[in-house]
Amino acid sequence: MQHAPSLPEPSLPEADTAPALVASGIGKRFGSTQALANAALEVRAGEVHGLLGANGAGKSTLSRIISGHITRDEGSLSWRGRPLALRSTREALDMGIALVAQETSLAPDLSVLENIFLPELGRPGRLSYTGMRRRAQAILARLGREHALPLEAEVRGLSAAQRQLVEIAKALALDASLLIFDEPTASLSPSEVDRLFDIISRLRDDGRALIFVSHRLEEVFTITDRVTILREGRTVAASLPTAGLGQADIIRHMVGRELGAIYATPGPERPGEAGAMALEVRGLRAAPHVRDVSFSVRAGEILGLGGLVGAGRSEAAEAIFGLRRRDAGTIRISGREIAPRKPADAIRHGIGLVAEDRRAQNIVPDLTVRENLMLAHIGRHRGFGLGYGKRRARLAELLEKLGLPPNRLDASLLTFSGGMQQKVIIARWLLIDPAVLILDEPTKGVDIGTRSAIYRILREIADAGVAVVVISSDFEELLGVTERVVVMSDGISIADLPTAMLTEEKLTLLAAPRSSAGRTLAALEALVAEHGGSAFWALLEPGAEELICLGHVALPGAPDTGLSPGAAAHYADTGIPAALRAAAEGFVTEPGGHTSLVLPMRNARGHDLGHIGLTLPAGAPLPDAAELRARMEALTAPDPVSGDAP
Amino acid sequence: MTQITASLPSGLARIGRSLEMRMLGLALVIACGLSLLSPYFLTQNNIFNILDQSVVIGIVAVGMTFVILTGGIDLSVGSVAGLTGIVLGLALGELPIPLAILCAVAAGGVIGLCSGVLVAVFGLAPFVVTLGMMAIARSLAYIFSGQTAISSIPMGLSDIVYSTVLGIPANVLFLLALYALAWAYLTFSKGGRTIYAVGSNREAARAAGLNVLAYSVLPYVISGALAAVAITFSIAQILSADPLAGNQMELDAIAAVVIGGASLYGGRGSIIGTLIGVLIMVMIRNGLNLMGVSPFWQGTAIGSIIILALLAERLVNWRAAR
Repeated sequence: MQHAPSLPEPSLPEADTAPALVASGIGKRFGSTQALANAALEVRAGEVHGLLGANGAGKSTLSRIISGHITRDEGSLSWRGRPLALRSTREALDMGIALVAQETSLAPDLSVLENIFLPELGRPGRLSYTGMRRRAQAILARLGREHALPLEAEVRGLSAAQRQLVEIAKALALDASLLIFDEPTASLSPSEVDRLFDIISRLRDDGRALIFVSHRLEEVFTITDRVTILREGRTVAASLPTAGLGQADIIRHMVGRELGAIYATPGPERPGEAGAMALEVRGLRAAPHVRDVSFSVRAGEILGLGGLVGAGRSEAAEAIFGLRRRDAGTIRISGREIAPRKPADAIRHGIGLVAEDRRAQNIVPDLTVRENLMLAHIGRHRGFGLGYGKRRARLAELLEKLGLPPNRLDASLLTFSGGMQQKVIIARWLLIDPAVLILDEPTKGVDIGTRSAIYRILREIADAGVAVVVISSDFEELLGVTERVVVMSDGISIADLPTAMLTEEKLTLLAAPRSSAGRTLAALEALVAEHGGSAFWALLEPGAEELICLGHVALPGAPDTGLSPGAAAHYADTGIPAALRAAAEGFVTEPGGHTSLVLPMRNARGHDLGHIGLTLPAGAPLPDAAELRARMEALTAPDPVSGDAP
Repeated sequence: MTQITASLPSGLARIGRSLEMRMLGLALVIACGLSLLSPYFLTQNNIFNILDQSVVIGIVAVGMTFVILTGGIDLSVGSVAGLTGIVLGLALGELPIPLAILCAVAAGGVIGLCSGVLVAVFGLAPFVVTLGMMAIARSLAYIFSGQTAISSIPMGLSDIVYSTVLGIPANVLFLLALYALAWAYLTFSKGGRTIYAVGSNREAARAAGLNVLAYSVLPYVISGALAAVAITFSIAQILSADPLAGNQMELDAIAAVVIGGASLYGGRGSIIGTLIGVLIMVMIRNGLNLMGVSPFWQGTAIGSIIILALLAERLVNWRAAR
């Protein structure tokens, strides 16, 4: 094994630097899931290396193997030319490898100082608090954050960003020379992200190796030097220089298909099949994860709720189901507004929820299969006894349909496979005939065979008139099962499209959280307020003459551009095809008389953030194109890395 | 994958696996051992003695089973028994016997309701809440009684112990009837199964629409009320209500439930197991008395048996898990 990287060395000008960390052929299996198979990664000292991949591609697993949290099943790891066999995080820390995790590993009741030097508490000998304090100050000074952390404060009271800083300081206290940041920006505000990036670039300039795990493409473009992309546990693109990449390249690697084919499918309306409106959610807010969610689903329809892990989909479902406090928004069942405060209320109105975490939220381990099946019935049942009798016929029918063995109803549910357990939980709800059934990651931990059975069942129950909502991070599944998809990103439902119009690539683009979104949308508002007409923000695909609209602001009476947020369109189907084709060439007047200016947005390193367009009605005074361009550039200019962070 | 046990002729396999059966086996082994050590042990007289001695602790253990099934614990039963005994003693001076008993039982239920609400609604730790109740109830018992035992108990009360049906004393009959009722409730009623579900996975029970709140409170009410019932039988025997009565009763009750195979994490256990646990405890105490073992050593014996029973259970489970 030693240090023989099995991957071809990337042909880079600076490739003469020997990699500090080489992982090759890494495999890891969890139960029946192969989380990693032949994953490889090479990281040099003095670089920020992005580790990318779709949901479940194995990014976190690989990080945790490198940091000693879990052991690999196969493959080799070497660190500074020596083979690395880690049995614990302790050993990884001793070697200088530290993970700055999403869920921090801090002791909330200890002070900041004690947390920074927590690993030293395990060493024999007396602690010198004065010495520790001096060293902590030095570390923070090196990060440029001298006064950001009260050393004596309890960690419990710190903000997410401060905790992260403690984690980083903790790693530096051990003189870690490889730091892995796993989704470090997930709970940070934009200015905190800027500060984190400042810290990361200082660490890089120190000559440390950094791994940046994220699915936020904008951040990847901002901070990383090279990226490695995983797909289904394999490395599909190794050490590509970020400078030469675009969003489309990365998404192509993450999804594994050519972008060209994505708009091939037209969006056929399913005529006459729409049932009555079953569930209608408007403006749902449940802080902090659900910010503004609206969607509706009709009887007989399968609606997908897509997005990245952490986009707030499960939380939205829980808020609808009465498991989570709602701050705002309305929920209507068959047109009647309801306000469930506990699941029993939601169930009474005909909602069922197959929650995401089967073991924690669905299975009652000490009850038999029969009792687990009957659990929702027990909740609905009025009367002293069990009342199983009245469900007997329906139960027999369901067992038959789901392929559950009727002779094992008295066994423990835990002796069944994950797929069988999931079928039992689905059957639990079907027994009480819900009007709306929400399934959160219904095939998580389910084998392939049972998966297709579950898809068939979903189709059948929808055909029987149930409104089905499927939450899934597996975009392929979402596209295969649903008729319509509502995409959520950062707690907001940003798009609502027929599945026929969608592809994995489009979903990935739509679902990507965009830290620039707030700023850009505000700019659209400002443009329209000043000049009138309408403004849009879109990702253009000039080769195929197609676009995905990310934001749209219009005054009443503005010319119809045919764009709406979250929707994809061919140039020819919009109201401004000429302007789109001539993007960035100044004002273009369409045959209809209205005039548009389309400008590219780039970040400071030149990466494409999409285009902004302004469309004015015929005869409106045209503003100065050059001045507008300058303003757009000013908007995207502040680069958190080169700029001196506050 | 590994479902060999499920494919065996399920009746036999399940009996072999069931905890009650193992505990029943343990009870029989202890009975055999004790009858070898003391010839008097297996006489009819002594068997009635054992049953008679099981009544008070057995009744309290039913309530304790309900509480433990939800994943809680009730440390206050002994003190509640003491307090409700005093309530009964005082009430008997003013009211006819049935009404006086009702007063005492209602008082026990109200104390249980307080504990249950504090635990289920406010999310306080059952251990701490019932520890507080334990102190309060004992102190009130002293205050209401004026620090002395009430010995003006009407003779009529002893009928509930000493009248017999078909040669079986009424208190033993009551105990058996109570266990039958509790077993039927826990097995065949919506409430009983909800108690198991709440103890086994509270979150799943809530998500399935079960009334988690009500069935988290109810066991404490039952436990408090049954503590009062238990002390009523005790007072009927000795015709005196002592504010100190029921001291350390919670320990015996918890021990019986745990020996009977219930999990202190909730969701697992059975009323039959508890009955067997009670009998094991009482048999050991009885046997040690017969053999003339000093009462001071009995604590060591009982404690060891509790720990050994738990240890054996853990070892069996480990093997089963592998």
